[in-house]
Amino acid sequence: MNQLGFVRQTVAYVVLLAVTFLICFPLIWAFSTSIKAPKEVMATPPRLLPAEATSANYRNLITGKEQYFRADQAYVPTTAAPQHFVSWFTNSLIVSGASTLISIVISTLAAYSVTRFRYWGRRIVPYFSLLGYMIPSIVLVFPMFLVMAQLSLVNSLWSLTFGYVSITLPFCMWLLWAFFRGIPIELEEAAMIDGASRLRVFVDIVLPSAAPGIIAAAIFSLIVSWNDFLFARVFINSIENLPLTVGVMHFFEGTHVDWGLMMAAAVLMTVPMAILFMLMQRHLVAGFGAGAVKG
Amino acid sequence: MTIRLEHICKSFGPVRVLEDVHLGFPERAFVTLVGPSGCGKTTLLRILAGLETATSGAIWHGTEKVSDLAPGKRDVAMVFQNYALYPHMDVGANIGYGLKVRGVPRDERERRVREVARVLEIEPLLARKPRQLSGGQRQRVALGRAMVRKPWLFLMDEPLSNLDAKLRVTMRGELKRFHLRLEATTVYVTHDQLEAMTMSDLIAVMDHGVVQQYATPAEIYNRPANVFVAGFIGSPPMNFIEGARLGGGEVAIPAGDRVVPVAASSLAAGADRTVRLGVRPQDVRIDGAAGVPGEVTLVQLVGSEKLVDLDLGAGVRVTAEVKADLPVEQGARVRVSLDPARLHLFDASSGRNLAA
Repeated sequence: MNQLGFVRQTVAYVVLLAVTFLICFPLIWAFSTSIKAPKEVMATPPRLLPAEATSANYRNLITGKEQYFRADQAYVPTTAAPQHFVSWFTNSLIVSGASTLISIVISTLAAYSVTRFRYWGRRIVPYFSLLGYMIPSIVLVFPMFLVMAQLSLVNSLWSLTFGYVSITLPFCMWLLWAFFRGIPIELEEAAMIDGASRLRVFVDIVLPSAAPGIIAAAIFSLIVSWNDFLFARVFINSIENLPLTVGVMHFFEGTHVDWGLMMAAAVLMTVPMAILFMLMQRHLVAGFGAGAVKG
Repeated sequence: MTIRLEHICKSFGPVRVLEDVHLGFPERAFVTLVGPSGCGKTTLLRILAGLETATSGAIWHGTEKVSDLAPGKRDVAMVFQNYALYPHMDVGANIGYGLKVRGVPRDERERRVREVARVLEIEPLLARKPRQLSGGQRQRVALGRAMVRKPWLFLMDEPLSNLDAKLRVTMRGELKRFHLRLEATTVYVTHDQLEAMTMSDLIAVMDHGVVQQYATPAEIYNRPANVFVAGFIGSPPMNFIEGARLGGGEVAIPAGDRVVPVAASSLAAGADRTVRLGVRPQDVRIDGAAGVPGEVTLVQLVGSEKLVDLDLGAGVRVTAEVKADLPVEQGARVRVSLDPARLHLFDASSGRNLAA
């Protein structure tokens, strides 16, 4: 490599590092705060690296034993937030997982149907479905609350699951519709001539070919349901049924904000999504289908 | 067992794509369906495969009616134009998929896949994915997938059209060899008349959903049933001279004074009528002293031959194919003679060959 090339590459790396640091800074700061002792959290000047690292915030979150909530303290909040962290986390997992599963199963079948079967209205469905997704959640949430109330589902995880499905399903279906259209029909015809039934063709040929699309749709659905605040705030009214997003808000209780605890919760909330993303991102590259046909 | 297509008609909504197709394929024959795009040849192939249902008509394999069977139950194999290899499966799995679906035990499956791979010389590629293969290799895998099941009918939909010109010539020979080895009937679809001529035992020339002629390559070349077949088969295409008068053992080309003798065999349809005269460029001679006068308007060298465009006056233009070493210049005046035994006379209105 010549000198100019080396300089160029170095400059490029420095710029990239700087941008990456900038983007990651909130997460870095959250993590740094979460391992600081309480007295250091608000220290001036602020320090990126704590003088002494502590895992107390994480321990408190998970075990639910937080000194503020001891009975002998004067300012015990009415709602004992950290004790519920594990159940909030579980709720979030259940609701995100269930709504994603339902969304993906239905949208995959629906998208396949509108791409491959001939019936009236099949062309218009995907566009309407996208249109449905464009209606802001805030418009939907109150009518949906009334529906949930009639179904006696308010304050249950089912209400959230159905709520999230109603948002993610149309978009997932539209996304997968675009994906299925890209799968050459000859692949399916070849499999049929090879003797496979329609269902077998779907499982053996269509699903693997659409895997990047299905993974993308699933990640979208997970992120939407994991990060939702609005539906959870409206539909759930008991503290133990809350998902993480609304649950963590309870750290703002009264006049006291425990930043360390809150940042620890934020980090734990981000970790599952980050891990998932890292595992899945290589599947998201849609080069999967290249080489199936022509060349 | 022979395969018979009985009165196959197919419409897509109001559009008629096949009109009463009635063909028989002898056992182990290599039959080519050839025609311009939109002539219905691919639709006919798909009906044979079971991917489309004929609007009316039936397909018989010997005494068994196969037209009601699902594609997977017909035990036919098809090679698609774009190969349609399963992208997520390796070559071995691609070839073996049909056997797997049919419940062939793993040991036998592997043995048969390996055997086919050996024949096709793709054994070293068995563990690769389709995207790691070249066009020619994909072609072989697609063939292998079709061969491994030992079907009674092989369907090929323009399998060479995605290959480059050189590879196409090689694969043409290979396909023919595979066909001979397989002992199955092959139905081959192409728009390339050269492929049809070189590979087939029988050719069905199609246009507008109608089989125009179904015969051996030699028959189709030498005795085209009508103007369409005559113009479609052969390269460069046949010359046509409109409004020629047939009479007294001669054909008078428009402009009156140009006369060409006609061999007795072409006169069967009677004398004294207006005809469309067809003559292949190979049967036009410009090196003699006799014949009608004409002017050379263009000379194109194609290797060992030259294509010479000639203007005979009164709007009559023909192309002659002559040896490359024949000295002929653009603008030269030559004597043009047409081989009397190789003239084709067609009915002026219906386009039917008068000798047929």
